[in-house]
Amino acid sequence: MRYAELFWEYLKNYAKTRLTYRADFWIEVLSDLLFQGMNLIFILIVFQHTPSLGGWSEAEVVFVYGFFMIPFGIFSTFFSIWNFSERYIVKGEMDRVLTRPAHNLYQVLLENVDPPSLIGSFVGAVIMVICWTQLGLPFHVMDIVMLLVFVIGAVLIYAGLYTALSALSFYSDAPTGIVPLMYNIQNYGRYPVNIYNKMIRFVLTWLLPFAFVGVIPASYFLEQKADDLSRLAWFTPIMGIIVFGLGLAFWNNGVKRYRGAGS
Amino acid sequence: MLAIDVKDLRKQFKVQKNREGLSGALKDLFKREYNEVTAVKDISFQIPQGEICGYIGENGAGKSTTIKMLTGILVPTAGHIKVNGYVPYKDREQFVGGIGVVFGQRSQLWWDIGVIESFQLLRKVYRVSEADFRKRLDNLVERLQLGDLLNRPVRKLSLGQRMRCELVASLLHNPSILFLDEPTIGLDIVVKTEIRDFLLEMNREHGTTILLTTHDLQDIEALCSRVIMLDDGRIIYDGGLDDLKSRWSKGREIQFQFAGHTPLAKLQQLTEELAVTWSLENDVTAKMWLPHEVNVSDALSKVVAGTEIRDIKIFETNTDDIVRSIYSSGSAEVSKETSGQ
Repeated sequence: MRYAELFWEYLKNYAKTRLTYRADFWIEVLSDLLFQGMNLIFILIVFQHTPSLGGWSEAEVVFVYGFFMIPFGIFSTFFSIWNFSERYIVKGEMDRVLTRPAHNLYQVLLENVDPPSLIGSFVGAVIMVICWTQLGLPFHVMDIVMLLVFVIGAVLIYAGLYTALSALSFYSDAPTGIVPLMYNIQNYGRYPVNIYNKMIRFVLTWLLPFAFVGVIPASYFLEQKADDLSRLAWFTPIMGIIVFGLGLAFWNNGVKRYRGAGS
Repeated sequence: MLAIDVKDLRKQFKVQKNREGLSGALKDLFKREYNEVTAVKDISFQIPQGEICGYIGENGAGKSTTIKMLTGILVPTAGHIKVNGYVPYKDREQFVGGIGVVFGQRSQLWWDIGVIESFQLLRKVYRVSEADFRKRLDNLVERLQLGDLLNRPVRKLSLGQRMRCELVASLLHNPSILFLDEPTIGLDIVVKTEIRDFLLEMNREHGTTILLTTHDLQDIEALCSRVIMLDDGRIIYDGGLDDLKSRWSKGREIQFQFAGHTPLAKLQQLTEELAVTWSLENDVTAKMWLPHEVNVSDALSKVVAGTEIRDIKIFETNTDDIVRSIYSSGSAEVSKETSGQ
């Protein structure tokens, strides 16, 4: 409850500082959407050359992409900590965070909230709805509940992985190039995983469970496929809790190794 | 009750060794070598509640590392710390609610928003009630004369204005211990004095324990009843400032300006019975150095009796000189030999 209140306070401050630079705000929204649009266009181009991808139709793959955009938008809003290592470790701003009475990760996240990313989630939802009707899928009220559960699970998976990644800078001297690498790997989770070989599939499902952020939960709403990924959909919230738990533990342990900067 | 209790505190850092040149860099890529650097070496001290204690030492002596361990930012390698009844790094979130921290070189305030908005945010973070907050803020604003600054964004404040705001920010939750890491660095003399007066007043009224590090020994003279001096990670002096001065200043110097030319031999002859030394500055000016054992009036009367004097100046060794000589010798132990003489 107190954390919710804090969130609101930080959000107000975000609004005060950022909304004064209106152009900046809209450019960010636009560039976010352009980035997502490019990915979508890539999918459409692929389907100009083939009617189906590992048994998945164009509308289905776009549906998966639409689903992916929802948790990704939420994740980007709350976990916009790309510059964590630079700002908090190298420049030592973590000192300040650690002398305040709220969980340090929470403070870092709040200081970096990025609400414009949420617009991506709305666009994703719209894409889902369009594909839903195009595919003529049945609709139950339960689907809304399931969607919520899956989205929360997916956000937790992302959050856990990126928390752990950011926490790496507590352990390693220099910021590593692993974040861009991860950023590339995560893209694979949006496409039907059965088009990859077994190895990659295993990694994407169980080690870096990006498949749980896209294709697996989304397949719950689609028609059953031969390999029936949707059976795994139920694991989404469980994976979310596990991954986030591990990420947080890794972070908390990292904080103990924080060494500060300068004098 | 003890505000701060530190026993055998140690902090070691692993520092990566960088080998020279391109080939060294390539070697480092595959096999890293590390040096263990001990920044704080088994120090122990205790600070009772309500004391203002100065923590001094050269750059790199381990002051900041100690402060960071005391405030829970760093986890010590070994030893015991208890601050305000807590082990700082263990119960961090509860612990920091009872302390205030100001790092002179780093801002706690949000850069882009008005000062008052930063304060409001801190109020929420520290869970201070609106009524308490108002009362304290009004009080602090009045004392530090911040009235017209409150609505300006932090980036538009001068260093002195910012520093006063930082102090307010660290005191809004009424902490019982205040840690100040170089609070007066880069400030002009007016602001420095203002901040010192304010700290003294707060210490008197609320009994706030203050631990400050500084390079400005005037801060120490103005504020501290006690000094802890650190060198290369070890405590080399812990005690009163007056004690330090009397132990380390070996004597005084008196400069005479005579009416006419006075030869050195004559002066030495005048003060034969006393253990003083003379040096000539020029024809009419001479300096007499006398250790503490020698009474100033004795020496003066001897000189006055035999010469005609235009002017006299007495130089007391100041803290700066004392501290400089301790730093350069690297130990306050020497002082014991001197005072034992």
